[in-house]
Amino acid sequence: MSALPPLGVVDSADPLETPRRVALVRPDIRPEVRRREERWVMTFPHLIVREVILFQIVVIGLALAAILFDAPLLGIANPLETPNPAKAPWYFLGLQELLHYFPPVVAGVLMPTLTVLALAVIPYARINLTAGPLWAARPGRTAAGVGAATVLLVALFAAFACWPIVVPTILVAAAIFAARGGESGGRMRRRLARVTLPEWIMTWFVVVATILTVIGTFFRGPGWSLVWPWDAAVFG
Amino acid sequence: MREDLEDLSGIEEEGPNRRDFFSRVGLAACAVAAVGSGIVTLDYLKPKVLFEPPTRFRAGSPLDYPEGVVRFNRQQKAYVIGAPGGVYALSAVCTHLGCITRYLSDEKCIACPCHGSRFDLEGNVIHGPAPRPLQWLEMQVDATGTLLVDTSVTIPHGRVFKA
Amino acid sequence: MREMSLGSLGSRLRDTGLYRSIVRHGVADTNRNRSLIIFENLFLHVHPVKVREKTLRFSHTYWLGGITLASALVLIATGILLMFYYHPSVPQAYRDMKELAFVVENGTFLRNLHRWAAHLMVLAAFLHMLRVFYHHAYRPPRQFNWVVGVVLLLVTLLLSYTGYLLPWDQLAFWGVSVGTNMAKEAPLIGEQVRFLLLGGHAVSENALLRFYVLHCVVLPVALLLLLSVHIWRVRKDGGVQGPPEEPDIADRGEVP
Repeated sequence: MSALPPLGVVDSADPLETPRRVALVRPDIRPEVRRREERWVMTFPHLIVREVILFQIVVIGLALAAILFDAPLLGIANPLETPNPAKAPWYFLGLQELLHYFPPVVAGVLMPTLTVLALAVIPYARINLTAGPLWAARPGRTAAGVGAATVLLVALFAAFACWPIVVPTILVAAAIFAARGGESGGRMRRRLARVTLPEWIMTWFVVVATILTVIGTFFRGPGWSLVWPWDAAVFG
Repeated sequence: MREDLEDLSGIEEEGPNRRDFFSRVGLAACAVAAVGSGIVTLDYLKPKVLFEPPTRFRAGSPLDYPEGVVRFNRQQKAYVIGAPGGVYALSAVCTHLGCITRYLSDEKCIACPCHGSRFDLEGNVIHGPAPRPLQWLEMQVDATGTLLVDTSVTIPHGRVFKA
Repeated sequence: MREMSLGSLGSRLRDTGLYRSIVRHGVADTNRNRSLIIFENLFLHVHPVKVREKTLRFSHTYWLGGITLASALVLIATGILLMFYYHPSVPQAYRDMKELAFVVENGTFLRNLHRWAAHLMVLAAFLHMLRVFYHHAYRPPRQFNWVVGVVLLLVTLLLSYTGYLLPWDQLAFWGVSVGTNMAKEAPLIGEQVRFLLLGGHAVSENALLRFYVLHCVVLPVALLLLLSVHIWRVRKDGGVQGPPEEPDIADRGEVP
């Protein structure tokens, strides 16, 4: 990492003095930008026309969906009678599935809070700004680290019998190890070998969240029992 | 000219001047106003009078509950159960996430439809993700000998009301 | 009879004093007029006058931010229309849902549109976040904009959740009951937060009214304010950033 370039900022209390630098971006972690000339085009019509077309496509697509599929409406709310099963909207069904394995404090409060915090600090974590391909440096150490982390996670979630998390963890770990030594290979293998650690972690998170949501939506029926999708109550 | 500028800088180093003082007082006043508005608004949002139904209900005579009888009061979400020495009342609200449980008479247990929790007739968890046993509710007897249950008052687990 | 084509009618209209008092630029056939169209318009001037050509490609951002914004606009339009028939009280709310389904012209269509646009907005917001992540478009100087984006995602989820209660059917009531019971589990503040949200100890007409105000006023205002900051930051940070590029071509000194 090179030393910071000298600041040369105008340090003055004069409100009319225009500062010469507004944002200082370190050369080693700035977003990669081509140094050659780029082609610029007029916003109107090129960008505006694309925005208009996109809006029309979205509206037409949604209108078709609205004509073909009805939003659900059950009987009037009855505080004395709980429907079986009582399912949350689909984006919370992953959470509701987690509730089956962990106490409400963990699945309902702790995990979502930690997830949101982890997402929010992504740009401020050094690893996200400087990480290179996972297998590029010290593959032996990387293999040991990934192996240990996988064993730890699998043991932790298996202790709670949370198979929807255990299985994707093993699959993603297998993919990580499959990426090793992929620099010489086809295009797909080379792309896989270039994946960085933060990207693997995010991939793991997305796969786990998707599987939990799919199970909660399509494979859970009365009493939160496991059912086939054609028996599950799939509400919009 | 330069001597004047140097004099001025000398005075500034002596400590906060009148302008700084008033700035700070002004800022403090704004902060007090902001915090005060926040507290008052929060208090405004908390309802002081609730129009929720009363939590005490009559449950009949103690003689109506020989051992093993389970009566479910749907309105009040409570079970009144006969025990070997008396009567007791259980909350029917599942301790997991608040769904209303049902009594399964053939299996002699209380089951929750939401996530499959099951409780025995004393409210202990026998299966499922419920973290705590069903709450026991306060039971009394009024002047005419009728049982009175209050669903908003919980009593220690196992305290059967002796008729 | 003078020969009048549509084109000449248009240009005669554009010459009138009335038109020129409203629209201060000419037809978009010069770069000057194309620039004026953008920066003389209150709504359009969040755009720069020129953009990098590569940012226009679909594969640059998959237009996911645009899809999220488009579905938000559909939601606002359909939401306002639905408000004309909806009373946030118990049990009138449910009756209004029935009225929309069977009595109001295109009531079912509008309600369906609102519902599916809501699902699309949540999905598109997630996919947009993933796209930004995998393109490393959160790196300096765009860090704060990422955080604003995370908050926008939360506001979107909350909008969806508060809207979920409004039909006041079994699905709505129990979905929200379970959710607020989860909030109660939070240590120290859980009970207080639940009491404030519901305006009571259980989901009732107080809860319906509060969720209605949150869904129709508080959260949309928060969304629009944060969205403005978000789009403004994109502009100030140099435009949308797409896939990271190989810098080696610059070293070779190639010109396209």
